[in-house]
Amino acid sequence: MEAILEQIGGLLANLGPLIVLPVVITVLGLILGMKFAQAIRSGLTLAIAFVGIFLTVGLLGENMAAIGNAFAERTGTGLDVIDIGWPAASALAFGTPVGNAIIPVGIILNIALIFLGLTKTLDVDIWNFWHQAFIGAVVTFITGSFLWGLFAAAVTVLMAIFLADWSQPIIEKYFKLPGISFPHLQSAGYMLLAAPFAWLLNRVAFLRNLKLDPDTIRKRLGIFGEPIFLGLFIGVILAALAGQALTDIILTGINVGAVMLLIPRMVGILMEGLTPVADAARKFMQKRAAGREIYIGLDSAVLIGSPAVIASGLLMIPVEIGLALLLSPLGNRTLPFIDLADGVFVTAMIAPLVAGDVLLTVILGGIVMGIGLIGATLLAPAVTDMVARAGSIDIPVGYTNYTVMSDGAIPHSYIFYYFFQTPVGIAALLSVAFLVLHFFLSKKPLTAEKLFGEKEEAKKK
Amino acid sequence: MKTVYLVCATGIATSSMLRVKVIDYLESKGIDVEVVQYRVAELSPDRIKADVIVATLAIPPEIEEVVTVINGLSLLTGIGEEETLEAIAKALSEDK
Repeated sequence: MEAILEQIGGLLANLGPLIVLPVVITVLGLILGMKFAQAIRSGLTLAIAFVGIFLTVGLLGENMAAIGNAFAERTGTGLDVIDIGWPAASALAFGTPVGNAIIPVGIILNIALIFLGLTKTLDVDIWNFWHQAFIGAVVTFITGSFLWGLFAAAVTVLMAIFLADWSQPIIEKYFKLPGISFPHLQSAGYMLLAAPFAWLLNRVAFLRNLKLDPDTIRKRLGIFGEPIFLGLFIGVILAALAGQALTDIILTGINVGAVMLLIPRMVGILMEGLTPVADAARKFMQKRAAGREIYIGLDSAVLIGSPAVIASGLLMIPVEIGLALLLSPLGNRTLPFIDLADGVFVTAMIAPLVAGDVLLTVILGGIVMGIGLIGATLLAPAVTDMVARAGSIDIPVGYTNYTVMSDGAIPHSYIFYYFFQTPVGIAALLSVAFLVLHFFLSKKPLTAEKLFGEKEEAKKK
Repeated sequence: MKTVYLVCATGIATSSMLRVKVIDYLESKGIDVEVVQYRVAELSPDRIKADVIVATLAIPPEIEEVVTVINGLSLLTGIGEEETLEAIAKALSEDK
């Protein structure tokens, strides 16, 4: 059995995502009841999206290779691992053998859990299975095994669903979104780590009285929320510090701004291809789950509207840069880059833990990302390998190291990294134990009372 | 030709999911639209050229003052989809 799976993994890797994913998605679409023409259109759109993504990630890689090591040496910061950002990482993750398999596997697991009455969350956000595929790819890199990678990905899919159930009450209360939960491993993972600290911080009265106003922050820092400007500034600064000539500095700024705009556009095409399939999956699952109480599981992008989340997300930019520098002597080699633009995904599910207090949210974000930067550094070899295998990217071997700040910082990413440093048998046991913990969490959802205490709750009313 | 902005957190993920549905629906009703995707951070009240905004998240109040904003969440969950699509079509056929 294991040998067969390894063979399949090898075959998937050889054919590459441009061939495999379209086929997987088309077949999945047909099984879910889509018309043939529509299913093929989805599959083909996906393949085309990947062509675009590889092109633009290649552009990123070229610019980064020029800056990377020069920056680290000249500034003496030792930050030689560059954050390629989640849009590129998502495409790379889906492109791995584990990534090819994760969508059907994830859907089957979710349906199974609902049937067994073990969850109320129906995860229609199949796009975000990529976070689990990412962890699976890291495990495959460490163990050399497709099987264990798939195991890790499957287990983390289950964990994300349980975390959605766990976080549902407090999220519903804060964002006023009934009937919706968030199996988004990224934001929910951060939330899990932040929760105990939030509990502590909520009891430090003086911090809560230092109120930061979200609207002022948005007005002052708002321009950094626009990716093209963020890309321009950061590109120029990095190029200058790396000692490039003036024309090159400007060109780098423009190229990085381009990357910040173009990679997401390509990923948007991927989403367009995936949407009809996701829709078909949702209808399929809803029919079979009829009669049960269901939360619809969505992408935490839906939570980004509140001013507190946006303001804290913007503040995460200088915080993440500062942390990267501060933690450099402690082992951080990650240079925050593309993912600076999406600090809101860190803060989205953390803000409710502290009732939207901007200062506390930023402190929690700092704790999570501080640990996360070290996590991202650990995962660099795996990510660099993923980038190299993407094929159309020419990287001088051992020259530049890549990582993904956002996903490296998900606690589950580095926890699984550590699990699989041990022999696979032990890693499997640890994974299952961790999974059982998640299951128990889902049975004891997080409510405002638990976080703020009975007296505080009464005050807030 | 009317313009619709699809807005989400990153301009990538959830707004792409909206795109497919909104365009298909409007085309089936014979309404000609140009559809553009944005992230919420890119919106500014003096640069809105849309007739309607469909968003998957809360939009800042200063934007809501200058353009009709419709909540597109139902297009993601599937619950209340038809009503939302009808509301979009209706908002577009109203002349400003």
